Amino acid sequence: MTSVLVACLFFTSDTFAQQPAQLVVGTQEADSAELWLSKMSNAMRSLNYKISFVLLKPGVDSQPFIWRHAVDENGLQMEQLNQLNGPGREALRLGNKISYFEPNVAPYSLLSSSINGPFPYEFFQYPEKLSAGYDLVLVGKSRISGRAAQQIRVVSKDNSRFGLNLWLDQKTGLLLKLNMFNLKAQLLEQIQVTSLEVTQLPDAFFTKIDAKMLPEVISLGTSKVRDSPWQINYLPVGMQIRKRELRRLSASGKVVEYVMISDGLVDVSMYLNEGTAKPLDTLVAKSQSDTVLSLQHAGLNVVVIGKLPASTANKIVTSIQRVEQGQ
Amino acid sequence: MSQKFENVSALVDGEASASGTSDSPLLEAVLNDNELMQKWNNYHLIRDTLRKELPKQLDLDIANQVAIALQSEPVILAPKRKWHDLPLVSNVVPFAKQGGQMAIAASVAVAMILGVQQFNHANVEQPFNAAPPILGIQGGLSPVSLEQTRALPRTDVAEQRRILGAYLSDHKQQMRLKSHQSMDMNISVADELKTHKEAQSDVVDNLPE
Repeated sequence: MTSVLVACLFFTSDTFAQQPAQLVVGTQEADSAELWLSKMSNAMRSLNYKISFVLLKPGVDSQPFIWRHAVDENGLQMEQLNQLNGPGREALRLGNKISYFEPNVAPYSLLSSSINGPFPYEFFQYPEKLSAGYDLVLVGKSRISGRAAQQIRVVSKDNSRFGLNLWLDQKTGLLLKLNMFNLKAQLLEQIQVTSLEVTQLPDAFFTKIDAKMLPEVISLGTSKVRDSPWQINYLPVGMQIRKRELRRLSASGKVVEYVMISDGLVDVSMYLNEGTAKPLDTLVAKSQSDTVLSLQHAGLNVVVIGKLPASTANKIVTSIQRVEQGQ
Repeated sequence: MSQKFENVSALVDGEASASGTSDSPLLEAVLNDNELMQKWNNYHLIRDTLRKELPKQLDLDIANQVAIALQSEPVILAPKRKWHDLPLVSNVVPFAKQGGQMAIAASVAVAMILGVQQFNHANVEQPFNAAPPILGIQGGLSPVSLEQTRALPRTDVAEQRRILGAYLSDHKQQMRLKSHQSMDMNISVADELKTHKEAQSDVVDNLPE
């Protein structure tokens, strides 16, 4: 009996000893987080793949998706993202035209380079945009979805935004898992890939698409920067104003100034609301993985919604200042 | 020595005849001998490893930690049962107390209503959502408790909720309709857009100043 146990002990310690040897081999291919991320975006753009993944958010049921991508013989990128639970929502991308099919809304198309889906798609395509605001750290290797994976951590430089932990397939560079965590390193949102298939030829699904049958491209109006009396003095490192316009909230009919700020990973909405009779009370809350902050500042009611820490949102809001018109 | 270990090994595997009786000499020996106790631990660990039953996070010292935690925990004695602890009586008494309790519960409910209710929507269709579901009262807080309080008029709560809902749905719409201009895209998206019909009526261009 004892001899058997001892033999097993040797066996187990032996397998442990082999692992470091494999790790060393893996690191020779790409040895910086930047290289791994560019490998990821290249793979996402150039390979034919089919990925199933599950999206997990606090307070919501898990949501399974299928994600197909292919490049046809003319170099045209084709992509499909389909939510598998519920009434079925689908996004289809042919080059720069993205068509959305959703229940209760007539299908429409947008001209854009990225699908607006459940994941930070812009980051997948242009990870280099992140270098302004985030540090990229190569962490280590592990096994995700049955594959050897490289872990990379994305941390904001000024500690003002949530971070990412992502695991990339060592062989192809495609995404296997993505965790978004808050400043206390608690998990906020997770994407877990359940199956990954890379093929030589485009998936048969894409041959069925008739490009002429896709819905027309709609215009969203020009998102011009209005000559606003309000100036935002503080933005976290790497964040920029993407959009600034006057909007009428469809649900309440109120006209507010809308500002979208983005750093290539998260997009945050800000609503500047001047002199209303009934402003929203001061409030800090969470809506799934979004932070909601409402503050009264300098005669404004400012509402911030997005995936960023409440402390950062507060800092941005309190930096807003009225400037004289015409300057 | 090795005979001693072999006995322990047999005991771990359930092959020792002494199993089941706590006063068996072997178990006594294990309990009294630190070395044997360590072996006992190790054998179990090895067995779990071989059977792949190990937990994800291996905490070898869990028994000790539990013992320490137990020692530092204050002793709680069960209170004596009194006449009003009898099931029937205890069911009746709260009715008398309910007035005061309801008042407290109501005020707590109002305090929570904006903070909690608003954000508990199980919105499965989130990523491509067309419009948010109508915000309503979720389970857990009954409208009755809301009626009973006069601290905050109900219309205000509803109004606040409605305003917040408007912001949240607009944020979702913005996220859905945002378009990123690709870096390697040379054609101007703005020019393309001009040729297409104007479909968005939400943008207000000429607002009275």
